[in-house]
Amino acid sequence: MAELQLQHLDKIYDNNVQAVYDFNLDVKDGELIVLVGPSGCGKSTTLRMVAGLEDISRGHLLLDGKDITQAPAKDRDMAMVFQNYALYGHMTIYENMAFSLTLRKEDPNVIHKKVLAAAEILDLTAQLNKKPSQLSGGQRQRVAMGRAIVRNPKVFLFDEPLSNLDAKLRSATRREILLLHKRLNATILYVTHDQTEALTLADRIVCMSMGHVQQIGTPLELYDRPNNIFVATFIGLPPMNMFDTVFEEGVLKGKGFQVPLSDEQKALLAPYQHKKITLGVRPEDIAEGGELRIKVSTNENLGMNTLVHGAMGDGNHITAKLRGWSEYKLNDLVPIHFTRMHFFDPETTNAIRKEAE
Amino acid sequence: MNEEYTRLDRMRYTKNTTSSRLAILAIVFDVLFFISLYKSDVGNYYYTILIGASIIYNLVFLLATFLASEGVKNYQRSYSWLLLALGCGQIIRIFIYPVQAHQAVVSGAQVMGDGQFIRMIIYLALSAVCLIASGVINWQKSKALTAHIASLEAANA
Repeated sequence: MAELQLQHLDKIYDNNVQAVYDFNLDVKDGELIVLVGPSGCGKSTTLRMVAGLEDISRGHLLLDGKDITQAPAKDRDMAMVFQNYALYGHMTIYENMAFSLTLRKEDPNVIHKKVLAAAEILDLTAQLNKKPSQLSGGQRQRVAMGRAIVRNPKVFLFDEPLSNLDAKLRSATRREILLLHKRLNATILYVTHDQTEALTLADRIVCMSMGHVQQIGTPLELYDRPNNIFVATFIGLPPMNMFDTVFEEGVLKGKGFQVPLSDEQKALLAPYQHKKITLGVRPEDIAEGGELRIKVSTNENLGMNTLVHGAMGDGNHITAKLRGWSEYKLNDLVPIHFTRMHFFDPETTNAIRKEAE
Repeated sequence: MNEEYTRLDRMRYTKNTTSSRLAILAIVFDVLFFISLYKSDVGNYYYTILIGASIIYNLVFLLATFLASEGVKNYQRSYSWLLLALGCGQIIRIFIYPVQAHQAVVSGAQVMGDGQFIRMIIYLALSAVCLIASGVINWQKSKALTAHIASLEAANA
């Protein structure tokens, strides 16, 4: 059992800069939580507070109901995997993995069994006598994970573990982390700025910006029903298109374009008659055909899809992810329509949706 | 995995630090020995070819023992013989400088006092014990490791 509760955590540095504001999260046993957000949003600071590497300015941290807010890092029964691996270059892989247990003066035979078991899980048995410099980046990251596994901690903390890897290796290592999570059923807090990692790994995602939690939910919830403009534009690649519009006469009027609405949408936006509304449309929710037009500036073929960048109406930048292989040229006019739309209040930046949602 | 099997299997990934540290300890005792020897200066007693040979042997000893200490880390059995030979050499040295100098009298003065004589014998004896123990332990461990690896290979074949 390893349930983690973060209650009203604040982080205020000595120079009065506040990095994290009122962070609340209940992590269930065996859950993989991903903290995602742009650089400087406070996600790594939050993780370091959980690890005990940063003091908690306000709030409480509970592990299995026990308050560990003031407990030193070594007594928290958590293992952290860092972005830069933090391996000892002069030690072999075996010695690196055994190091923390050796420091605890565990029986060498027990250490040996634990290291071999972890190496087996991570497919590192053949590398145990090598030095870190002889391994690839992905293998080194697996060693860092192995070092965490042998400790059998209650909670694993990952701080951007894949950032130093190339795209192919990142994808492979991501799958390994996922398999590892399923195999160990471990409670994991994982920090990344890469939304692809967040969407593919997480049971739940915590999206952060400027030290504030913007939304907590499953990957699908964040993608499908973003709470606000920040989450809508941060989650999803390419990001959601945003247009300034006004709701009038049953349609959304933008600069040089009009979007017709269904009855349900009209009812939803009824309180915003003659008011500004930010219209959000994901590139993948745009399909060919219809009354709207994209004036093409660039065309990127991705194989199954084509990314079309251009302008809609009077210079509204838009990116559409159209199905199939298309060869649009500069200034071509592509007819499109929106298959799904999101509405946001431009004043609060919050999503406009039914109360039940 | 029983405990004995685990102990043997552990050697596949861990270094033979016992033998290596004993060899380094032997170097330390040898250094103490020659510091004690070279600070002696009674008349011109020490200005002979013997002291030159002693200095050269010390340099060779330091180099060889250090190499052996690195070699035994990886359970290389051949270094056991080198360590045993160096250990025997330290015992033989007892009968060259400390004993000869202790017996010598120059201009009515004793070249080496009893205290220095005993200290030097102790340093050489301890150095010899460390070297021989290092060699024997490495020989035993490397033999066990070789057998263990052979049994693993046989099981995998």
